[in-house]
Amino acid sequence: MIEVRDVHVLFGRTLALDLQKLSIEAGERVFVLGHSGSGKTTLARLLKGRLRPTTGTVRVLGKDPASSQPKIRREIQRRVAMVDQEFFLVPRATVVANVLSGALGRVPPMRSLFGAYPHEIWEKAESILGEVELSGLEERRVETLSGGQRQRTAIARALMQEAEIIIADEPVSNLDPELAEDALQLLVDCVARRDVTLIVNLHQPELARRFASRFVGLADGRLVYDGDPAGFTEEHAELVYRGGRRKRNNGRDSHDDTAKPVAPEAGRPGMRLVRP
Amino acid sequence: MPPDWSVAELVLRSTLETLMIAFAGTAMAVVFALPLGFLAAGNVTPGWLSHGVKWILGFIRSIPLIVVAIVLVTAVGLGPFPGALAIAFHSVGMLAKFFAEEFETADEGILQAVRGTGASWSQTLRYGLLPQSVPQIVAFIVFRLEMNFRDAAVLGLVGAGGIGFYIQLYVRGFQYEKVAVLLITIIAVVTALDQLTYWVRRWVR
Repeated sequence: MIEVRDVHVLFGRTLALDLQKLSIEAGERVFVLGHSGSGKTTLARLLKGRLRPTTGTVRVLGKDPASSQPKIRREIQRRVAMVDQEFFLVPRATVVANVLSGALGRVPPMRSLFGAYPHEIWEKAESILGEVELSGLEERRVETLSGGQRQRTAIARALMQEAEIIIADEPVSNLDPELAEDALQLLVDCVARRDVTLIVNLHQPELARRFASRFVGLADGRLVYDGDPAGFTEEHAELVYRGGRRKRNNGRDSHDDTAKPVAPEAGRPGMRLVRP
Repeated sequence: MPPDWSVAELVLRSTLETLMIAFAGTAMAVVFALPLGFLAAGNVTPGWLSHGVKWILGFIRSIPLIVVAIVLVTAVGLGPFPGALAIAFHSVGMLAKFFAEEFETADEGILQAVRGTGASWSQTLRYGLLPQSVPQIVAFIVFRLEMNFRDAAVLGLVGAGGIGFYIQLYVRGFQYEKVAVLLITIIAVVTALDQLTYWVRRWVR
């Protein structure tokens, strides 16, 4: 389903990602762990076609997401949904308008330009809003919502897309710890009801452990762990974390600047499982 | 010298015509300025195209309105229609430039997110770009409407209809008591348009 081979991504003279081989099969729930600047966001952007690798090949659903052909790019965009860290909803638009826009890839273009979505799309949006517990807020503007509600709106938009792969880049880092767990639970539940492959970038291994079928650990753009969550030990966490220590200040994904240590066990002063 | 209210009916009728010219001209201008604004916005249109369109818009802006009006009156004939056309042509240059600059301030993350649903170029504009910019766009339009009324009032000088014809007639005939009525009417209409601007901006947020 996803094949990454010999990929290097350079930003100027900084090597942001160096992946020899990574393949993800249909139905997996992969949690990508790493410190800020470890290449998690870069990987997500590669898979979504927002970034072209400097060398190497990326294949998503058998195609190049950053293909030179707009038709292929658009197809991959439609079949791969993304929940961004900052949600990127239209603040002035209503909740239901934002959710409906998830279906833009498969509605008749002329009708959609006049805001006329087909009836079944509306019904679908209603049922998804029920699923993410936002019923009753359809006509509220997103700018009036709380952080948790915005998060669920963003998830609803991604579900509306009926994508085969959903990528969530730090989906809960803007939320309180309790809310973060609920939001992840909701995302995983919604995905479980569908035939969708899930890739989540996350800081907190202990949180990821509850939902993942596979862990991928990145440090300084390199793969340091790939496998069963049960095999992800203190040492791996240490490796992932120590990489972060070395490179913290020139991290590429600037959104991650509030990174916290990922080492799970207590006993180390100043370390926490979840962000305060 | 008291205003001569005997011309009030005539003045009202021609003021109405001037208002119509301003409305029609602004409406036509918006129809063309929106697509041109998209094409001139560097964040959604390739650079070579947006720069080209921006250059054309600058060219349009640099032609004085009165020149446009004289040319159109010569080409189309006397009356309010060439007046509205001249207003429309002249406004497009400014409106499209303002629209483009407003579009360029749009949140790139939102555009990317909408594109990320598999939306086409036009759908991205409609659902990613436009909703972000609507309040500013509307504010520009009503502001330009007010400007266009004042511009249209002058257009009658070259035979393009409206109140301008009588301004010229009375000023040249030294009938300042009638000019006073004209000025009072224009001030009243501009004040009303100003209030309208305020209401519309408050309504669209």
